[in-house]
Amino acid sequence: MKIGLRTWILIIALILSILAIKPSFDSGVLVKSVEKNSSIFNEGLRQGEIIKEINGQKITDIVSYSQTISETFQSSEIKRLDIKTNKNSYTIFTNETPRITVDKVPRTKIQTGLDLQGGARALVQPDAKISDAELQDLVDISRNRFNVFGLSDVQIRGASDLDGNKFMIVEVAGASPGDLEELVSKQGKFEAKIGNISVFEGGKKDIASVCRNDASCSGVTQCNPSPQGGYFCNFQFVIYLTEDAAIRHAEITKNVSLDETGQYLKDKLFLIVDDQEVDSLLVSASLRGQVTTQISIQGSGSGNTQEEAFNSAKESMNKLQTVLITGSLPYKLTIVKLDTISPLLGSQFTYLILLAGAASIIVVGLIVLIRYRKFKASAALLFTSFSELIIILGVAALINWNLDLPSIAGILATIGTGVDSQIVILDEAKTGKHTSIKERMKRALFVIITAYATNLVSLLPLYWAGAGLFRGFAFTTIIGITAGVFISRPAFAEMIRKTEE
Amino acid sequence: MGSIPVPRIFIPSLENQRQLKIKFKSPSISLIINMENQPQSHSKSTYDKIYKWLLIIPVGFLLFSLVYLVQFNSQNGDIIYKDVSITGGTTISVFDDKIDIEAVTKTLKSEFPDISIRGISDIRTGKQQGFILETKASPDSIKPALEDYLGYKLTQDNSSIEFSGASLSSGFYKQIRFAIIIAFVLMALVVLVIFRTVIPSFAVILSAFADIIMTITIVDILGITLSTAGIIAFLMLVGYSVDTDILLTTTLLKKKEGTLNERMLAAFKTGMTMTLTSIAAVTVSLIIIYNFSETLRQIFTILLIGLFLDMLNTWLTNASMLKWYMEVKNIK
Repeated sequence: MKIGLRTWILIIALILSILAIKPSFDSGVLVKSVEKNSSIFNEGLRQGEIIKEINGQKITDIVSYSQTISETFQSSEIKRLDIKTNKNSYTIFTNETPRITVDKVPRTKIQTGLDLQGGARALVQPDAKISDAELQDLVDISRNRFNVFGLSDVQIRGASDLDGNKFMIVEVAGASPGDLEELVSKQGKFEAKIGNISVFEGGKKDIASVCRNDASCSGVTQCNPSPQGGYFCNFQFVIYLTEDAAIRHAEITKNVSLDETGQYLKDKLFLIVDDQEVDSLLVSASLRGQVTTQISIQGSGSGNTQEEAFNSAKESMNKLQTVLITGSLPYKLTIVKLDTISPLLGSQFTYLILLAGAASIIVVGLIVLIRYRKFKASAALLFTSFSELIIILGVAALINWNLDLPSIAGILATIGTGVDSQIVILDEAKTGKHTSIKERMKRALFVIITAYATNLVSLLPLYWAGAGLFRGFAFTTIIGITAGVFISRPAFAEMIRKTEE
Repeated sequence: MGSIPVPRIFIPSLENQRQLKIKFKSPSISLIINMENQPQSHSKSTYDKIYKWLLIIPVGFLLFSLVYLVQFNSQNGDIIYKDVSITGGTTISVFDDKIDIEAVTKTLKSEFPDISIRGISDIRTGKQQGFILETKASPDSIKPALEDYLGYKLTQDNSSIEFSGASLSSGFYKQIRFAIIIAFVLMALVVLVIFRTVIPSFAVILSAFADIIMTITIVDILGITLSTAGIIAFLMLVGYSVDTDILLTTTLLKKKEGTLNERMLAAFKTGMTMTLTSIAAVTVSLIIIYNFSETLRQIFTILLIGLFLDMLNTWLTNASMLKWYMEVKNIK
């Protein structure tokens, strides 16, 4: 049988889709992020590379990666680290684990949504009516805040709904930080006050730089058992004020009298985040009226064990540093939707969906075979349905679309209507043999195109409803039915015509 | 792209009224459908006698549905039961196979009277894998209460927590409802533009409308509480319920071979194969994900109900109206 033009188009679309999905059987670990200016970063390792070997040991998965790393860095001596990736080899000398995050190598380029792979999603709404440009500002500032905080795998985008409400959508794939809620919703308005007068605020205007990740001017200083039980740890870090803020500080402190001891000013310096006092500092008498740019910020964290207290102090410090660096968000924010989905059942879910898809296709194939008793036609039908599935997945992979549950329902439903259309073609081919097969195929395609048009227009409104959270369904279905009408159905009609002729 | 067949618009006119009637052997196929009381290709068949009366069934059902929904609306404030994803609230899935679901419900009920809890289980073993809890309360209040009962902290390793604020949820719900109405209107416009005849188009639109209204009624009678994702299934129905109607209308108005009843029978066979394969696929998928995903379960259940009702609406409502129209207009 000669393969016609339309069938060729289908085959080419199929091959392109498989290329887009890019199934990979690589072993190793994928570099998800590399800390900027770390030694390995300076050697040239970048995210997206796949680590194959460390110090001659083969790295097959995350387990073997962490094993090799922990074996290498049992002591704090400086070690030589030879890292071989799929692209290059790097050598560093270091006494600490490389500052990178890794993940398993994805098998395909198909990305699954939060409801399948786990993760967290927050929908945040500003308390004021804002414009698109203002929404974009909010998104930029928030993105910066996450970067400064040290979370790189966070997606932030603006969205609006049919009522004109504006939202910021924050998504973290996989395991999500416990304090996501606080990070996204806190405005982070930092103020340092003496009495009732604001001395300086968070952000670039008042703060020239903040010392972090440098043990000489930032860190958890000491831990002690707390009188109420448990432990508490103090942290301390230095910030540098801008010239303006330093002069303001001098102006304000000039008029404050000393306390009884004569060592400190009468009024404390209050550190306030989002209208809540975080800490108060005694200002040394020697600083009164002085233009000083260097200020030491302190705080504490507590916990049941010393380790817990230490981590809590470290985390508080990181948060405070983050708001000092990034400044306040321009609006008060409310979390209107927050989903944290456990990655636990993800693999089982994928298995069930594949099972459901395969079982459906087999059942449909059986029904078609019983109904038409034609093996070739039934096989062509299954092949076409299967190609439609591959094309949808291919397009999704190509544009980095996240497949969530509604998208998957959409795909299954699309395959279902695809089969419907092919049945129309099969039946047209079988009956009414006194009109030409070409004519009958045309008629079948008319039914199919009409059905396509009604389906298409009924999906469009969903694109805008609900801040685009339901877009996945509309989108996959539209790709599916469009590929069906323009690529796979004409090909199927041609295959049937060839077998009939 | 290949050449895209341009839809040819068919306008019933005189040229179609005098045609050769060619009887041909009905194709030797084994039908999996019971053909009793269905269109037959005799000159004055039972179907010809009763088809107008057949309309009573769907019309009666539709009237019942409308009355039921009006009643339902006045009792419940809406035409469906809404879950916390629409009213606002919290859903917590806990993956713990040892928890006694009844005991948790009993304990938490006093503090959270609206709470509902059901189990999730593995399809392969049937073993309980955990439970899903729903309440209108916010995570801040329900999470500590549940943690107290369980005796451990809920983290991402043992649970999923979904929270939607009340105003956002109801806003989204209104938008999706609006989207469904717009979808329906757009679908109706496309049908009108393509068929360009009022009554056949109206028959298609009416049967799609009846399909949705009847499905909502059955969903309510079954007491299914819908989530936002479940409502999207109704949007899917708008598209899918017209597929067989379009096939029927095209075959009857556009095809020239055979008598009206023969064409009807041909369309019926094709349409039933379409619907039955869809029903089979949806049923298989529904069984597999039944105890696993609430979202997919709702979507597939609604589609399944809709597909069954679509048979009724296509082959009784639409077919009878169209045949009636064609007989009055003397289109053969």
